[in-house]
Amino acid sequence: MVSKDSCRNEIRAAIRQLSDRCLYSAAKWAGEQLVGIEQDPSNFTPANTRFQRGSSSIRRRFSTNESISTPLPSVGFSQAATPLPEEDEAIDGDFYLLAKSYFDCREYRRASHVLRDQVSKKSVFLRYYALYLAGEKRKEEEMIELEGPLGKSDAINRELVSLERDLSALRRTGAIDSFGLYLYGVVLKEKGNESLARASLVESVNSYPWNWSAWSELQSLCTSIEVLNSLNLSNHWMKEFFLGNAYQELRMHTESLAKYEYLQGIFSFSNYIQAQTAKAQYSLREFDQVEIMFEELLRNDPYRVEDMDLYSNVLYAKEACAALSYLAHKVFLTDKYRPESCCIIGNYYSLKGQHEKAVMYFRRALKLNKKYLSAWTLMGHEYVEMKNTPAAIDAYRRAVDINPCDYRAWYGLGQAYEMMGMPFYALHYFRKSIFFLPNDSRLWIAMAKCYQTEQLYMLEEAIKCYKRAVNCTDTEGIALNQLAKLHQKLGRNEEAAFYFEKDLERMDAEGLEGPNMFEALVFLATHFKTHKKFEEAEVYCTRLLDYSGPEKEKAKSLLRGIRMAQTGFPSMDLEHFPI
Amino acid sequence: MAGLTRTAGAFAVTPHKISVCILLQIYAPSAQMSLPFPFSSVAQHNRLGLYLLSLTKSCDDIFEPKLEELINQLREVGEEMDAWLTDHLTNRFSALASPDDLLNFFNDMRGILGSLDSGVVQDDQIILDPNSNLGMFVRRCILAFNLLSFEGVCHLFSSIEDYCKEAHSSSAQFDASNNNLESLTQYDQMDMENYAMDKATEEIEFQKSASGIVPFHLHTPESLFKATEGLLHTRKETLRTSKKDTEATPVACASSSTLEDTLVDESLFLRTNLQIQGFLMEQADAIETHGSSSSFSSSSIESFLEQLQNLAPELHRVHFLRYLNKLHSDDYFAALDNLLRYFDYSAGTEGFDLVPPSTGCSMYGRYEIALLCLGMMHFRFGHPNLALEVLTEAVRVSQQLSNDTCLAYTLAAMSNLLSEMGIASTTCVLGSSYSPVTSTASSLSVQQRVYILLKESLRRADSLKLRRLVASNHLAMAKFELMHVQRPLLSFGPKASTHHKTCPVSVCKEIRLGAHLISDFSSESSTMTIDGSLSSAWLKDLQKPWGPPVISQDSGSRKSSTFFQFCDHLVSIPGSVAHLIGASYLLRATSWELFGSAPMARMNTLVYATLFGDSSSSSDAELAYLKLIQHLALYKGYKDAFAALKIAEEKFLTVSKSKILLLKLQLLHERALHCGNLQLAQRICNELGGLASTAMGVDMELKVEASLREARTLLAAKQYSQAANVAHSLFCTCHKFNLQIEKASVLLLLAEIHKKSGNAVLGLPYALASISFCQSFNLDLLKASATLTLAELWLGLGSDHAKRALDLLHGAFPMILGHGGLELRARAYISEANCYLSDPSFSVSTDSDTVLDSLRQASDELQALEYHELAAEASYLMAMVYDKLGQLDEREEAASLFKMHIIALENPQDVEQNMA
Repeated sequence: MVSKDSCRNEIRAAIRQLSDRCLYSAAKWAGEQLVGIEQDPSNFTPANTRFQRGSSSIRRRFSTNESISTPLPSVGFSQAATPLPEEDEAIDGDFYLLAKSYFDCREYRRASHVLRDQVSKKSVFLRYYALYLAGEKRKEEEMIELEGPLGKSDAINRELVSLERDLSALRRTGAIDSFGLYLYGVVLKEKGNESLARASLVESVNSYPWNWSAWSELQSLCTSIEVLNSLNLSNHWMKEFFLGNAYQELRMHTESLAKYEYLQGIFSFSNYIQAQTAKAQYSLREFDQVEIMFEELLRNDPYRVEDMDLYSNVLYAKEACAALSYLAHKVFLTDKYRPESCCIIGNYYSLKGQHEKAVMYFRRALKLNKKYLSAWTLMGHEYVEMKNTPAAIDAYRRAVDINPCDYRAWYGLGQAYEMMGMPFYALHYFRKSIFFLPNDSRLWIAMAKCYQTEQLYMLEEAIKCYKRAVNCTDTEGIALNQLAKLHQKLGRNEEAAFYFEKDLERMDAEGLEGPNMFEALVFLATHFKTHKKFEEAEVYCTRLLDYSGPEKEKAKSLLRGIRMAQTGFPSMDLEHFPI
Repeated sequence: MAGLTRTAGAFAVTPHKISVCILLQIYAPSAQMSLPFPFSSVAQHNRLGLYLLSLTKSCDDIFEPKLEELINQLREVGEEMDAWLTDHLTNRFSALASPDDLLNFFNDMRGILGSLDSGVVQDDQIILDPNSNLGMFVRRCILAFNLLSFEGVCHLFSSIEDYCKEAHSSSAQFDASNNNLESLTQYDQMDMENYAMDKATEEIEFQKSASGIVPFHLHTPESLFKATEGLLHTRKETLRTSKKDTEATPVACASSSTLEDTLVDESLFLRTNLQIQGFLMEQADAIETHGSSSSFSSSSIESFLEQLQNLAPELHRVHFLRYLNKLHSDDYFAALDNLLRYFDYSAGTEGFDLVPPSTGCSMYGRYEIALLCLGMMHFRFGHPNLALEVLTEAVRVSQQLSNDTCLAYTLAAMSNLLSEMGIASTTCVLGSSYSPVTSTASSLSVQQRVYILLKESLRRADSLKLRRLVASNHLAMAKFELMHVQRPLLSFGPKASTHHKTCPVSVCKEIRLGAHLISDFSSESSTMTIDGSLSSAWLKDLQKPWGPPVISQDSGSRKSSTFFQFCDHLVSIPGSVAHLIGASYLLRATSWELFGSAPMARMNTLVYATLFGDSSSSSDAELAYLKLIQHLALYKGYKDAFAALKIAEEKFLTVSKSKILLLKLQLLHERALHCGNLQLAQRICNELGGLASTAMGVDMELKVEASLREARTLLAAKQYSQAANVAHSLFCTCHKFNLQIEKASVLLLLAEIHKKSGNAVLGLPYALASISFCQSFNLDLLKASATLTLAELWLGLGSDHAKRALDLLHGAFPMILGHGGLELRARAYISEANCYLSDPSFSVSTDSDTVLDSLRQASDELQALEYHELAAEASYLMAMVYDKLGQLDEREEAASLFKMHIIALENPQDVEQNMA
């Protein structure tokens, strides 16, 4: 296990270096992890106690099984004595200082101009980085200026060509440092040269692992598990963070959870890890747990906006209106022009049934970030509610085109087409969604319903789907009931009886009652009666007698029939016998 | 829609348009002069005017010429003053040093327009009428410029810089042309005779180059230009064409005209929507025409489409093109994906303007079209059951949304599906579908359903005035009439018709009705051509008027004709119409083939190949080639056929699902049978069988063909019982899938098998049954060949029946000799000789010529076929006759021929080697 002290020292140095190079988001991330480490007892001051959350219920829950679920090779950490990031030159040049202040004022071109003749590695990196950002800024502006009627224009970062040329020259001469490699990787990625970009980024993180931006770029280039496994990464604790994130994006939630649990051993108070864990749990549909985690996260970091859209989804699913509105209000005050904030507000309105307003906010979120996946999907849901199917389909399709693995959007597409009376067409989409999430009974049930529609009436296929749903532990019990009914409809009474019995068991176990139960009891009683299994039939009949209504009468007449059949005589009127 | 889509920009100022504006300034300077400065004659001035007119017309095309190209063109138009023109043009461009100059430039442009209400116009004043074509162009440019934001002006300015830079980068060529200019100016000093002669030669040269070289180097802003560059050559080859008959007609009818009305000029974009739509239409045609043949690589178009999609993500039709492209390269998953994506985005409203969107269903999108397309896609990929399900759903949804047009198309597609795919039982299909059909349908056969569907579709198409659909439905109906005996739908009771016969007259009538499309079209051409390709038609046609302005300097009369050339190219037949007309010719050929007239079939195929071969879809063109080659093989022997096949292979083998491969196997099999190389024949048979899809009911034709050939191979190998088994099961299949015409030939084959096996009595009923089938389907040639078999069977019963056989034979002779192939004719001759020889009343010595003539004819024809078995028989008979006559030399000659054929028959491999 890597020692907390060494981690702390490494991160402290790294933050300084990263902010020297104006890699602010990486520095921010590193800072979060730094305070995430359990506090140094030496400089333990009361001011720091607010980061201590050892008493948290969640923490305890996780710490119990920590010892079991850390199968990670500690081999990686045997060489955890990674060299501390070497210190930069002690004295910064005057030009560098000026350039950095320009950079901090977001005057990128000016900054790079000031550094035009500087030779120190730090200055060179800053020059190129500033140039890159200047190009990006211009690109964004041009994108709006040139935006055509058919969407995106061909605006590009005009600095990319010269940057690639210069950086590759630097690389050839070996005068490039790990930050330069990171920038080179970013440039290559933007130019569409993914494999080279990957190589460059791997080289960068291997020589300087503390740059989270480089890891994130690398993660975005890992589109499949094969690519991820083919990366030649040297061991460092930063790699675990990377893997956790990458697994999550590849929908390997349990693996990712394991990584995070392990990391929590060191970074026990990291908000980042907690949020990531919550994300994974959300994907595993553990809503209660996720809610608790987010509540705590917000208590510790009340002005956090990141990942809060996920929290709002949880609240939405639990229909917690008040909490959702509170959350929305809070993020709105914190930063209203964040896509997450807009999304949360949209969720709130959606829960309130004000779909037009919800759409407006989702749209705003998408204005801020066109690739905001969940906003597209949620907007699709809103349009479905508003019965505007074409718009819903369009929104879902955009989500799917951004990330083809988004099973919700595929499901939404299927639903929309089914709504329009095109069940056969919808089937394709349901199949797609099931492909990405084969263990969800809801999807199977949706597909089965599609087969069951009167237009298709493909009952055999519907039965197959329901069976799959049952295997996926269908919590709502629709599948069993439907299976029984379908078999009944097809005249396969044996199978029908089997499923009715199962359904009955389930309802008994959950203490449920209702028309489904009556139906099951009546069917079973009649079924067993016709098969001359009078004892079973009687059991079901007597159960029915506990309820009032027409079923009771039915049970009575059934019982009469049973008696008659058993004795062989026309039975006397049952009314005369007290039961 | 999600509301994120935007309306398209209509008209954007581009550097090229500024060039045109500069030229317009020269053409009509604001100063008052009867003839502006550089022009030496009115004719010259007019020529520039005409040129400018064509330039402004072609401004709506997706491609714009580069500056360099423009200068080259100017040289041809401007003659001696071209140096001045180009100088002026480049100077004006280099004078634009800042965005402010652009502003001034457009202010100046305003000056060349006359005011709308200026009543008094002096005679010698040149004023651009603001309502003329040129005036409108200037006004549009000025307006578009005025709408630009400052950023827009800056972008325009930088693109002008690029525009000029491109021209300068080719400075070497530029210098060369300058030299050329100098030499041209010297011409002024020469006397006129010399000048005229030089001019003439130059003109010839120019025309050569015009036909050979791309007239316009196409220009588009940066990235799109790069993307399109690769496609230019294919684009050039592409002739305007069309879609598959019913299958893609919805696409063909797509018109972007409605877009034009709603265009809002929002900002700069690469091109206007209209232009791109037109361009994409052309690409769609190209995909259709070339299939995935070698000249047209689907990957290149794919990469281009990908780029286009990157540039314009909201241009959804790109997805449809990708779908078409994938469809033609047989990539099922990608095709499906793109099709669904297209409809998800566009809701079926973009591009499919069959129905004016005002009909009210626009709120819900028009997803029934998606179903229709999906159904046709499944059909093409050979999933009949899926296709049927989807089309059924399409019918239901179209009915719900009362989209009659789509319903008509869907019904047509459905009938097409039912008639093409072998669907044995009808109970499972159309379960809950179309109510008018299902109400009576429970007891109907597939054929009757097809008929009802077709009728229904035809009725709807007629009332909706969907002319293309009407035409293609007529063709489908003709096909149906050709293949099926018409029966009254409710045929029971004593009054039920007993006259079961196909009716060639009605086939002919339907084909003609189908071909009426062309006259319908010419009477309302204006409404049918409005698709985006119209604007690009100008560009192509520019090539033609180019030559004449140069010529016209010496004869004024020609000038008028050149002017008309501008106009009449616009009325060209749209591809889809040409395609349908072409299909009608192919159908004619097929029907003549069936009815048994070889020359008529050949003639119609030739008409098709010459008139429509280039512009039609690759699969149709392939079919025409196939027919011609088959004809060659039947009537000219294998050598010619294989030579022709080689040509066709180069052209079509890369096309997916190539029929040429099938044809090749057929020809090889036939030859192997004739040569007696049975092993080879068997192998080829197996290969043929392997080509067919394993799915039930798919590729029926191929499957029937394969087992027919298998039976024939077995027959040749003298395994009679097995051959008979195969033929029997084939007959059952044909019966199950209602393949009536194939039944006739299977029956004939059975008769042959029994004849060969020596059971003439057993063969007789089969032959008679075959004849009656042929009669009811009017298959005259097949009937003649069945009659021949019948005669042979009678002859096989003994010499008593020789007379009867001969009578039968003579009855069939006109048909056989007039239309039969080599093999059939030879067989007839030999049988005739056999009949004579076995007739006891016939004496060889007195009438030897009758027999010998026939035999000689037969052996000549068999020579071309390399059919050793029959040839041996002929020589044997000849030798016998000569022997009877006592002509020993001839007898020996015939005997040696006989020996040769027998040896060749026994050692087929040797012959193969010799051939190789």
